[in-house]
Amino acid sequence: MSVTRFGLAALLASFAWGTAEAGEVTFWTWRQEDKAVYTDLFAAFTKANPSITVKFEAFPNENYNTIVTTALAGGKGGDVLHARAYGGLEALAKSGYYLPLDKTNVPELDNLPADALASESLRADGKVYAVSLAGQTLGLMVNKDVFAGAGVKVPGTWAELLAACTALKAKGITPIANGTATPWMDAIFGTVFTNPFLGPQWTADMLAGKTNFSDAKFAAALNKLTELKPCLPDGFTGVDYATSQTLFSSGRAAIFVGGSFEIAPFRRANPKLNIDFVAPPAPEAGQPTYVSRFFDSGFAVNAKSANAADAIKLVRWLATKDFAEPAAAKLGNISSLKGVANADPVLANVAKLNETAMPYTGLVYFRYESPTGTDLFQDGVQKLMGGTMTAQQVGDAMTQGIAKYYKPFQK
Amino acid sequence: MTARWRLSLWIAVLLLPGLAVMTLFVAAPLVSSFRYAFFAFDGLLPGRFVGLANFQDVLTEAPFAAQTWRALWHNCIVFAALMATQNGLAYLIAFALLKALPGHRVHQVIVFLPVVLSAVIVGFLWKLFLHPLFGLVNAALALIGIHGLPWLGDERTALGAIIFTNAWHWVGFPALIFLAGMQRISKETLEAARIDGANDRVLMTQVIWPLVAPSATVVVTLTFIGSFNWFELPYVMAGATGSPGGATDVLGLYFYRTAFGTASSGLTDFGHGSALAVLMFLFIAVISGLGLRVLRRREIEV
Amino acid sequence: MKGEGAKNLAIQALLLLNALVMLYPLSVMVLSAFKSNNEIFASPFALPENFAPVNVLRMWQETAFLRYLLNSIMVTLGAVVAIVVFGTMAAYAIARYRFRLSTAVFLFFLSGLMVPLKLAVIPLFIQLDRLGLIDTRLGLVLVYVAMGLPSAVFILTGFLRTLPGELEESARIEGASELRTMLQVMLPLARPAMVIAAIQNAVPIWNDFFFPLVFISSDRLKTLPQGLTVFMGEYNTDWGVLFAGLTLSALPITLVYVVLSRQFIAGLTQGAIK
Repeated sequence: MSVTRFGLAALLASFAWGTAEAGEVTFWTWRQEDKAVYTDLFAAFTKANPSITVKFEAFPNENYNTIVTTALAGGKGGDVLHARAYGGLEALAKSGYYLPLDKTNVPELDNLPADALASESLRADGKVYAVSLAGQTLGLMVNKDVFAGAGVKVPGTWAELLAACTALKAKGITPIANGTATPWMDAIFGTVFTNPFLGPQWTADMLAGKTNFSDAKFAAALNKLTELKPCLPDGFTGVDYATSQTLFSSGRAAIFVGGSFEIAPFRRANPKLNIDFVAPPAPEAGQPTYVSRFFDSGFAVNAKSANAADAIKLVRWLATKDFAEPAAAKLGNISSLKGVANADPVLANVAKLNETAMPYTGLVYFRYESPTGTDLFQDGVQKLMGGTMTAQQVGDAMTQGIAKYYKPFQK
Repeated sequence: MTARWRLSLWIAVLLLPGLAVMTLFVAAPLVSSFRYAFFAFDGLLPGRFVGLANFQDVLTEAPFAAQTWRALWHNCIVFAALMATQNGLAYLIAFALLKALPGHRVHQVIVFLPVVLSAVIVGFLWKLFLHPLFGLVNAALALIGIHGLPWLGDERTALGAIIFTNAWHWVGFPALIFLAGMQRISKETLEAARIDGANDRVLMTQVIWPLVAPSATVVVTLTFIGSFNWFELPYVMAGATGSPGGATDVLGLYFYRTAFGTASSGLTDFGHGSALAVLMFLFIAVISGLGLRVLRRREIEV
Repeated sequence: MKGEGAKNLAIQALLLLNALVMLYPLSVMVLSAFKSNNEIFASPFALPENFAPVNVLRMWQETAFLRYLLNSIMVTLGAVVAIVVFGTMAAYAIARYRFRLSTAVFLFFLSGLMVPLKLAVIPLFIQLDRLGLIDTRLGLVLVYVAMGLPSAVFILTGFLRTLPGELEESARIEGASELRTMLQVMLPLARPAMVIAAIQNAVPIWNDFFFPLVFISSDRLKTLPQGLTVFMGEYNTDWGVLFAGLTLSALPITLVYVVLSRQFIAGLTQGAIK
């Protein structure tokens, strides 16, 4: 699509409601906490493109989907929109609310690896609708000072983890900060610990339909989770996300099971926190272990933007190192772009673990239709840990739920 | 102009502004989203017309049906529990305030204070109170040697904990309505009953209760509608999926997450979501319509 | 009456206990406004480490608090006044006159209560847009009026129905117009119900942030609860600042309630005399 055509579209659209200021691009996001960083970075963009200013508009995460959906359906909304990945992208892209991106309007797509592009593509037409921002890695965050203070080594195997739990508990430290009251956290908790027991081969077999979640191996991996009950806070079924965060950031817990996206908030909550990011324990000494990975969010252009030309300029810039390098450093994430190095030692560590990462299966493959893999898994893990469902029942429920839309499971 | 016409015009003038606003901003948008219930959705735009298939899905097909019936059952529990606790307590408080003992005006303000707070803050406060690690409720129980449960994390107690919070939040409102009803009973009636030897219990159950029938109608109807549209507090305290494991799932949450998706998945489905909303509407309309008839008849009989 | 005295004492004790249960969580809310996140979760019920108004200052610096407050007052006041006026008019027609569509009109109003309006947020957005009311306070007010009318009409109809017809008749016989009868004879008696309808609607409107988030985008038009959502992050919510903001925002409506409750009692005693 040519620039003149966008200019024309912009002109027509501004006739239609005429509120957009010339040269101002509005950016909508659910990342309230990143306002300062984006404001800084957008100032750099305006320096390079003096005719364009960017207005940062953040909404609460819980309401973001509804707000964006409504605004786009009503022909409004920000010019550039922070988009969800995978299924969350598809709902809006399918309806034609995002502008398709390709190498003619955004040549910078070349800077992104294939799996990052796929996370922001519509499966039906294969087109890319957003520039992926970051990859997220799931594993363990450990408080090095707490481990050192208790004289306990950071565990590398499952047996060491259980031993470390006992040792830490004896010193009055909560070994693992996580509770199970916040459902989305349960899917992450379950994925982190089960993936090393399942391994990449099992996942490939499952995706190919050779096996499914009713498999005994899956149940065995899930059952490992229940061994962790004594490591969790007292009354963990009632411990929510915010409490778990505080237990870890205040140094009262040694391990937080979560994602690399949590490193920055932890440091903000407690700048003295001596944090490291490690892979979950391997099943046995000498066996491989894996972190889990997915892509998180991206930048899309509103198909009805009154200022599409400028919006595209902004998105092109968001796909370059001019944005990605300082953003990765300041937001504390792993950029989706190829070859963006991380000076931060903890993030560099994450990047290294990523080389052998497994996918966050429930999200990467089964978050396109309802019931999603993550919804089924989080529900199952919550009930497994609460003692109202067995591992086999959780696996069966997942297979049944996913079979609704996943052909290989329909037998 | 005849008097008859003038009266009709007068009635029309009285009704017009309200009807206009309702039509423009409630009825019209709702009718157009009710239409969605008859379409299959792929993304946000209605696709093909599917007749009653969405209704059939939410009532009889997996994975919808189990959630629908579970949520409906929970709503019934919420209604019954709020009637018994929130409104029962409200009636007692109103009766106590009616006695106009010293300080009753202060108490009347106090009992209403929580009502003015937002659900966000009430939900958060009670999450702190009910917290398994540092909550005051369990600390108090520990004093008498009881090891408290993680109230909001246990499938057996989570719904009850949220209902309790709701009762704390809203008890002032039915109390106020009952009090308004009780104040309108003439002093002579109450005196006469007392002279006949009625004690407080008799007064409350046999003298006052029938006379506050109009207040009871308002309270019961609003509680019924509120219970079946219950959304904000469970959303704040248990999230869109009715944690733990759907133990606190109610129709409001279920409808919202079906139509708009959860924050993490973002999968919208207005077809099934609208079908649920239509069913909720029909259910509430029919039951509250019938209920109102019964309640009204009771008012007249007295 | 010795027994009476003891019983009143017991009732007083129970009322005091009730007051404690009602007030204590509120004091936790106010104290939390002086705490950091860590303090809130580590020692939620202890006194704050100090009473420095750090959170209030942050809120002051990071949001246009006064402007949001003013917008909230304008929107809530506008909506509640319109709800009570239009609601009373409609309820009066339904309760005091016999006309053919009376029941249908009543059910039409009531039906607005029975379905979550969130469902209709997209058509509602388009409707407001068509009328040029997106990103205006008037648009928001009209949505709230439409949401509040059903319960107001319901409460007021119920109340107006119970007023004795003799008053109305005697006013008519004296030759008063319908309007005069309504305004000077009947409505003064309905004051308690009007106050209840006003309070019942003012609270949710005052606290709502969903509809402003969807319909208002200009910073100068934002309401207070909407403005405070900037402290609700995806992974990090600033509870201390939020508590500070929500506590301050609860103050005006509490004051309004205290004032209205006097009105309410005045209305009740007046009603009792008749």
